[in-house]
Amino acid sequence: MTDIPTAAGTPPANTRRARDLLAKPWAGTVMLLVFYLIIIVIFTVLSPFFLSFPNLISIGTNASFIGLMAAAGTPLIIAGGLDLSVAAIAGLAGVIVSLGFAAGLNIWVGCALALIVGSGVGGINGALTNGLRLNPFIVTLGTMSIISGLSLVLTGGLTNPLMEDSFNWLGSGRIVGIPFPLILMIVTFAVIWWVLAFTPFGRYVYASGGNPDASRMLGIPVDRTQIALYVASGFAGALAGIIVGAMLGAAAPNAVGGYLLTVIAAIILGGTSLFGGRGSVWGTLLAVLILGTLNNGLTLLNVSSFWQDVTKGAVLLLAVGLDQLRVRVQN
Amino acid sequence: MSDALLMEMTGIGKSFGGVPVLTDVDFGVERGKVVALLGANGAGKSTLMKILSGNYARDAGAICIDGQAVEIKSPADAIALGIRMLPQELSIFPDLTVAENIMLGALPTNGGPVRTLDWRRMEDEAGALLRRLGLDWLSPKTRMGTLSHHVQRIVEIARAMTGNARVLIMDEPTAALAEAEVQLLFSIIRRLVAEGIAVVYISHYLREVFAISDQVVVLRDGRNAGTFVTADTKVEDVLEAIVGNRVGDIYPPHAASDAPRGEMVKAKGLAVPGWLRGVDFSVRHGEITGVHGLVGSGVEMVGRALFGAVPKTTVEAIEIGGRPYRLRPPGAAVAAGMGLVAAERKREGIIPMLSLRENMSVAKLPLFTRGWTVDRRREQETVGSWIQRLTVRARGPEQAIGTLSGGNQQKVCLARWLLGELRILILEEPTRGVDVGARQEIYRQIRGLAEQGLGIIIISSDAEEVAGLADRTIVLAGGRITETFERPTDAAHLMSAASKSAAA
Repeated sequence: MTDIPTAAGTPPANTRRARDLLAKPWAGTVMLLVFYLIIIVIFTVLSPFFLSFPNLISIGTNASFIGLMAAAGTPLIIAGGLDLSVAAIAGLAGVIVSLGFAAGLNIWVGCALALIVGSGVGGINGALTNGLRLNPFIVTLGTMSIISGLSLVLTGGLTNPLMEDSFNWLGSGRIVGIPFPLILMIVTFAVIWWVLAFTPFGRYVYASGGNPDASRMLGIPVDRTQIALYVASGFAGALAGIIVGAMLGAAAPNAVGGYLLTVIAAIILGGTSLFGGRGSVWGTLLAVLILGTLNNGLTLLNVSSFWQDVTKGAVLLLAVGLDQLRVRVQN
Repeated sequence: MSDALLMEMTGIGKSFGGVPVLTDVDFGVERGKVVALLGANGAGKSTLMKILSGNYARDAGAICIDGQAVEIKSPADAIALGIRMLPQELSIFPDLTVAENIMLGALPTNGGPVRTLDWRRMEDEAGALLRRLGLDWLSPKTRMGTLSHHVQRIVEIARAMTGNARVLIMDEPTAALAEAEVQLLFSIIRRLVAEGIAVVYISHYLREVFAISDQVVVLRDGRNAGTFVTADTKVEDVLEAIVGNRVGDIYPPHAASDAPRGEMVKAKGLAVPGWLRGVDFSVRHGEITGVHGLVGSGVEMVGRALFGAVPKTTVEAIEIGGRPYRLRPPGAAVAAGMGLVAAERKREGIIPMLSLRENMSVAKLPLFTRGWTVDRRREQETVGSWIQRLTVRARGPEQAIGTLSGGNQQKVCLARWLLGELRILILEEPTRGVDVGARQEIYRQIRGLAEQGLGIIIISSDAEEVAGLADRTIVLAGGRITETFERPTDAAHLMSAASKSAAA
């Protein structure tokens, strides 16, 4: 019934082959990769400082905390959820560590506490969205506001120092020449990719977002899957906050909050559907790097940060538009 | 037929993807008459009416209004010609007033550069329409959401009467209405008919059809199967025309009736508020148990209540395989050996963007899980062998299931449960939107599963299907069992059992 022949009959073989290629699940990611290479070429031509190993490493390192949050946010959005509070959780995590440190608490105990609080907020998000069936946009908008407000209350809006050598290593230490935050981000992406690709849980993530009603009728634990993902997102937010604190040697209550939109933009740019059921972490990683590269390249070219925002928005619209075009051609 | 036909369709043909749905169908209605259009599910009633109301384009045939050939290319064309269709589902705006709901298609405005709503005229015109339908007591200023269901229905009729409505198509207008409300609806239909409006009345409730219609037109398999003057016709004749005599063609033989069989499921007092009022039934090993009833009779809840998918389900006692069973949510029901194929495949069956493989294995992933991960090779082997056994036609296991035909999707939805151990299989409307070839294959598989000793429940509002497949059948109306057939029976018996006590 769905196969209504077109007036022109069957399309010629080369059109069909192109269409088949576009229909592959990885086609979107490949398009994104091509897009990234074009950006790299442009910056390489325009700036002599761009294409060097230290610069490329610094792009990845600076994007790492955004990458952590986007990595955990991707399966959540695939499963049909959304976490707007993740960046606020990152801010709170830094505040918890720094206040604990100032009060004489062991810094690692502070970190553990921050991770627990972050996961706990994620658990609350999950319980409100799945237990009470509230809209995730509204729930996490609410917790975002509460959490960032609490951070300000706890600190009086002030920035607190976080100088402790072993802790600061998390932000600037290197393993075989590669900064720890970058390694942490890559490992996180790899772990989440492995979970999504190879475990039953990963299948449930795609099924839950692809059709929650059908999934429930099949006995798939939709609610438990989503709650676990909210907890993971909260955990990743706290981890990102700790990394930022270690990088900066200080914790400001609103240090990370402004990056929420970048996190969401990266997930969408990476090809994850806001309606759930579709997406990949490698797409998200590419998108995180693309946004980081744009920042870096435009800074090298002395473009003001105001114009950088304009550029990032335009790139997001362009990429999402192209992807929509791909989906249409494929059908 | 007489020469006073207001609307006449002749030789109508329509096919989808090469499969004919309507072949050479004639249909017409006179001014001031009610014609009932009857037929089993899939007989082509709604396709015919969608052609008349401009939602589908016909492939062949002609449509005349007042003897003049007309082209109906869009719903707007149909409305301009005075053809109005009342959809099966309510489509109202609960937060707007009755007047706004009626006049939405043609809101009167004041003159002037900025066109603002002319509230006075809107309420006057809406009020006039309501009086025309005999609803003098209903104020046009009432908010729609505060009205009861059947009054909302009637306001919809008033909406359809705006403009120059001449042909009114009503699709199952009495579903979910109580007897008194049905009588109110009938009195309104009689008023419209007295004004010269022609009414096409689609319903499964034969009693209502005989109460309101002047003429009955029956479709079967997309062809005319009989035209009757209601007053000179017996119910049996109409039933025979609906069912025909082709039952048995595509169905495998029934189970031998003499073999003694143990009970797989024994439920007592299964109840769902608003749907089921205490239903007792049992399902035996090796048999197909049919559950039949009209839409809204509660038939749609029996299987999913047993499967634990309906909140607030209660049951007095239930045994599975001779042991007491407590109703539990779908995940645990699956682990206990149950499977359910849902009626609405798009909404509750498939996960459209996932592949055929992922759709087939997702409910039984523990089978393929080794340690932490899914054993992809074993999964592919198992899925591949089921694709072959059920002759699923697809480019391969990685094709997105949303792009398969309905029949092939349904085969996947069935195969899902066959991958692992299964004791009870519940099938809701197992062949809705499924072509005949796939239907036969699905029936064959179901019978094969019964022969392996499974307990099988077929829930269907299609009497012919239940008759062809079920070894025993319970018939529901109004949330209760009205009749139990311990042996295979025919569709006519099922239909009369389902429709005669529907309003009781």
